[in-house]
Parts: sequence; C-alpha cells; structure tokens
Amino acid sequence: MRVPGAAYLIVSAILFTTGAVGVLVRRNVLVMFMCIELMLNAVNLSFVTLGRMMHALDGQVAVFFVLVVAAAEVVVGLAIIVAIFRRRASADADQINLLKW
Amino acid sequence: MPKGYFGEYLTLAFFAGMMLLLVAGTLGLNKLVSPKVHRDEKYLTYECGVDPVGGGWSQTQIRYYLFGLLFVVFDVEAVFLFPWAVVFDKLGTAAFVEMVIFIGILALGLAYAWRKKVLEWL
Amino acid sequence: MQIDYAAVAPELVLTGALCIVLVVDLVLPDNRKGLIMPVSLLGVAGTLLALLALAGDPTRTTLGGMFVVDSFAVTLKILFCVAALLTLAMSYDYLRKEGIHQGEFYFLLLCSLLGMLTIASSRDLLPIFVSLELVSVPAFVLAGLQKIDVKSNEAALKFFLFSILSTAVMLFGMSLIYGITGTTNLAEIAVRLAATPVLRSIAVLSVFFVVVGFGFKISAFPFQWWVPDTYEGSPVPVAAFLSVASKTAGFVGLLQIMFIAFHGLADVWRPFIAAVAILTMTFGNLVALTQRHIVRLLAYSSIGQAGYILLPLAVVNVNGGSVNHEAFAASIAYLLIYAFMEMGAFSVAVAYGREGGYFIDDYAGLGYRAPGLAVVMTVFLFSLAGIPPLAGWAAKLFIFRAVIDGHEYWLAVAMAVNTVIALFYYAKVVRRMFFEPAGDGPLGVKVPLLLQATIAVSTVMVLLVGILPDLAAHLARMSTLV
Repeated sequence: MRVPGAAYLIVSAILFTTGAVGVLVRRNVLVMFMCIELMLNAVNLSFVTLGRMMHALDGQVAVFFVLVVAAAEVVVGLAIIVAIFRRRASADADQINLLKW
Repeated sequence: MPKGYFGEYLTLAFFAGMMLLLVAGTLGLNKLVSPKVHRDEKYLTYECGVDPVGGGWSQTQIRYYLFGLLFVVFDVEAVFLFPWAVVFDKLGTAAFVEMVIFIGILALGLAYAWRKKVLEWL
Repeated sequence: MQIDYAAVAPELVLTGALCIVLVVDLVLPDNRKGLIMPVSLLGVAGTLLALLALAGDPTRTTLGGMFVVDSFAVTLKILFCVAALLTLAMSYDYLRKEGIHQGEFYFLLLCSLLGMLTIASSRDLLPIFVSLELVSVPAFVLAGLQKIDVKSNEAALKFFLFSILSTAVMLFGMSLIYGITGTTNLAEIAVRLAATPVLRSIAVLSVFFVVVGFGFKISAFPFQWWVPDTYEGSPVPVAAFLSVASKTAGFVGLLQIMFIAFHGLADVWRPFIAAVAILTMTFGNLVALTQRHIVRLLAYSSIGQAGYILLPLAVVNVNGGSVNHEAFAASIAYLLIYAFMEMGAFSVAVAYGREGGYFIDDYAGLGYRAPGLAVVMTVFLFSLAGIPPLAGWAAKLFIFRAVIDGHEYWLAVAMAVNTVIALFYYAKVVRRMFFEPAGDGPLGVKVPLLLQATIAVSTVMVLLVGILPDLAAHLARMSTLV
C-alpha cells in the first residue's frame, strides 16, 4: 500500500502542535527542550515529504542542515542546563526566576 | 476557501481556532476522563513497581555529560561526509580540498577539547 | 560548480582568523590570554579590508544564487564588522576585571560575526536559517559565559529556549513555503507565489510563521520577554553586542524575506506588521518608564527602537515602486544610526558600572563627579530619544517620512506619541546625572583607553550623522534591494 504524502504532512503538523503545546504547558526545562526537538523533527518530516512529493532533493538537503544545527543547539542547550543544574539542583522553569521585569 | 482581504485572515483565524480547539480538547478530555485518586503511593516515583529507596538526587560524574555532548557534535557533523562521498568521483579536486578544510576545522575542535583536558578521565 | 572566491573572501578571512584565535587560545598560558584580543582585532580588521575591496564592485552571485554580494550586503557587513570591533574594544578590560574566559569570548564573538556576514548575503531560505543560527548559538554561550553567576546562567537559558522555539516555528513556515513553491530561493519564491494563487491561504500562514520566528530575534512584541532578562544577566558587552549586532542580523533576514520573497502578499501582512510595530514600541517605551537598572532600561529602549525599525514594513506596496524603496532605505538608515548610539550608551554603562554600579540611582550627580562621562551619556540618550541635532533625530525623521510617503498617517501619529513617551525615561536619567546632588559614588571615573576609543567613535558618529544626515540617507538609499 502506498501512503499518500498528505498523511505525512498531517503527522508532521500533529507532531509540531504537540511540541508547541508541550513547550507551553510543561515546566521542566529538559522536557520543554525535548518538545522543541519534537517540533524540529516535525519540520524535518515535512521537508522530506514535500521534497519527495516534488521529486526534488532540496527537501533532504534542508533536513541535513536542520539536523546539524539542531545538534549544535542540543549541545549548547544541555551545557547551559547542566551549568544551571550544578548550581541549583533543579530543572524547574518556574524556579529560574531571578530576573523579572 | 473564502476570498478577499478578510478572507485571508479568516483562514488564519480558522487555523488558530482549530489549534486552540485541538489543544483545549485533548487537555480537557484528559482532565475529564482521568480518575482523580489522591493517595500517597501515587506521588511516589515509579520504579518498575518496586518501592524507591533513598533520594533521587545522586551525583553523576560530570564527565559523562561532556563525553555525551562531544559525541553528539562530532557524530552529526559526519552527516555532511556521506553526500560528498557518494558523488566523490564526479567532483573535482576543489571539493576534496574543501572537505579537507572542513575536517580540519572539526579536528581543530577536537584538539581544543583535548587541550582543555575534556578527554581525560580524571 | 564554480565558486567565486572573491565574493566570499571576507568570510574566508574571518574563518581563518577565528581558527587562529582558537589555536592562540590553546597555546597561550593563562596569564597571557590578553594577547588574544589584538589577534581577534586584527582578524576583524582584515575582514573589513576584504570587504572594502569588494565595495563598489558590480553585484556578484555565487553558490548557485544562494550567496549574493551587492551594495546592501557590503554596507551591512561593514556595519557588523564595526559593531564587532567596538564590542571587542569594549570588552577587553571588562573581561579582565570580571575574570571571564577571554579566549572563548573572542572566539565566540567572531563566530557570531561570521553568521552575521553570511546572513547579509543569503538570498535563500536555507542559508538564512543557517546563518541566523550561527549568529545565535555562539551568543547563547556568550550570554552564559559567567559560568558561576546564576543570573548569567538564567540569561543564557531564557535566550536559548526562546530562540530555538522561534527557530522551530520559523522553520515550519519555511517548509510550508518550500511545499507551495518548490524552491527556497527568495526571488524564485516571489515569482512562483504570484503564479499560484490557489494555495494563497497556506502561503499567508507560512508568512506568519516566518514573521513570528523573526519576531523573537528582533524582539518584537509579543515575543520580547527574553530581552530584558538576557541583557541584564549576561556580561554587559555581550548585551551591547546582542542589542546591536544580533538584532540587526534579525532585521537583515526579515527585510530580505519580506521585500524579496513576500512583497506580493504585502496586502495581507501589512496590517499585522503595523500592529506588531506599534505594540512593540508602545510596550518597550511604557515599561522602560518603570526601570531602575540601566541595562534593563536600555533593553526596553531597544525594544522600542525595534518598533520604529519595523514600522516602514507597514507601508510596503504590492506593486513595488518608490514607496518600497524609501521604506527599505529608512529601515537601513535607522539600523546604521541605531548601532552607534546603542553601542555608545552601553559603553558608558560599562565604563561607569564597574566603579559606580548599574542602577540608575547610582548615576545621581554624575555630572559633577565625572562630567565627561555624563555629557557623552547625555548625547547617546538624547540621540536615542530623537532630539535634534543628534543622529537619532535624523533616523526618526527618515522613518517618519517613509511612513508619510506611504500615506499611513495614523502610524506616524502613533510613532510621534511614542517618541514623546520615550523622552521621559531618557530625560529621567539625564536629570539624575545633572540636577541631583552627587551621591556617595566614586569621584572621577578612570576609563580604560580602549573603552575611551569606543565611546569616542560612537560620539563622533552620532554627532556627525546628526549634523549631516544625508550621509546615512545616501548610504541607505544605495543599499536597498528594491
């Protein structure tokens, strides 16, 4: 059976929304971070699908760059979280509130 | 699809409404359907059914993280090597030199980590 | 594929320079790390030279149309290099006194600068995205470089979370555009969008996604929450760099996408941009009134300024023409002028902050204790407020004229009202400095030589452009894409 391209796009949209909602409702920094990664992967899925639907390689090339940039962000982000964790022993976004208005 | 100037915004509002509905719907359904039983056991950390013993806060050697982070970076950079390798014989020497420079910069990063004593297990 | 190496020469020089900086950092012993600063300075100066060699050349296109060097790109790249030079000069003594790792700082600053250079030349969604991340990712680390300071950590974390969230949203918009048009080249997108009216609704949706993504980078309302926290928590020179260079990079990307790729849909996004611009400046200026910390005041003021820079986008015409040209030029001119006044204000804050403190109360009576510093601070603040004959006044005038030319009079009124509101908080600081008795702050502030140079350059530029506004106007008109 051949799955139509639109199905992939719908999955991608659902993944993206799930990620976006996750960032907004969850309070643990690590979980928020994972949700953002979910959004990025939704983008990857949609790039690949669209590229395939158009029989072009651009979509996959885009995914390469998104992947690499996401990896760089993961590393920097985790490093920041580890730095905070070492000083605070907490990854709760509500407790990171020294700076306000 | 609605046309005209406000039609464009209507589409946007439609998408926004859909999104809000979807989010509110799923979160609300979750609230409605899930049974609310407040017992002490429920607030315990779940560890394969065995009662957890001791605190959850334990020290992990920080170097695990450093190694993990380094691995992720260098692992993913390798992705650029694959497409290059596939069409290697069609590209000229220029592409080869460029890839050598690319790997050289990566090597510089590795040298940096090495000099900063990240690679040593103290 | 043949690459035009002359076109990418500045980027190559900078890449070489930052590799050298990294190596130098590795071989120098800890007590001689100060030497890295002149190396970085030379690297940026070399890049600037390579850029100047490209100035005035006909447009060069390379890398399959992704990378274009035209007058727009060259002007903005020069601006980025100058901003980086000023930041380098500003940070040298600051870093040594605060005990921040110098090698990493300069290296990351140059990395971020590299991203800025490439974004000015990117005429394709993919390189715009990669460059924008190259600007941001080193900046996260820069913001959190004061590792042992919890505030610095927090600044970095907020900046990071907001920034990658916005990136994800922007990327989703980009993937939709790619899906509709089948290309990522900006000019090609415009052509194909005009040809396929069927999917217009999705196109509009994707434009909004992209605008939201850039909204975070340029700190437009309602995506500005991270700005004051990040500026306050990070090292002050980093805050200066973020507020000038990083924000300009965001604007450069936004201007290119909106004017080249999406101007056909301008009818749809124009009111949205107008609303965002007005809300941004009003929010920034109103909240700035209540601030007590000088860096936070400047942060909110920079949010207000972002609103002004965004305003000309609200008069863009679907059919192109001189209105678009003037609007583009007005934004560029404002960016050019804004860089110097903001850099100047931040460098005075750095100069005084170490001995005097960063609260506005600490500035009481500065006019008696350190008259020179107080006078230049007044110049920068009044320039930001838009008082003639300083550069900020000319900048506001360009925006005002562009908006009037576009027949959006209510926008002009909103801008005028905002300028008046803004005057209050700038004047508040000035009043503190001159019309209040000298507190127990230090008498006479010793300003390091490099910092003096930063302040001097900024002052000269602010005064010069204020007296001869045509300099900026002419440069901006030369450097438009429409």
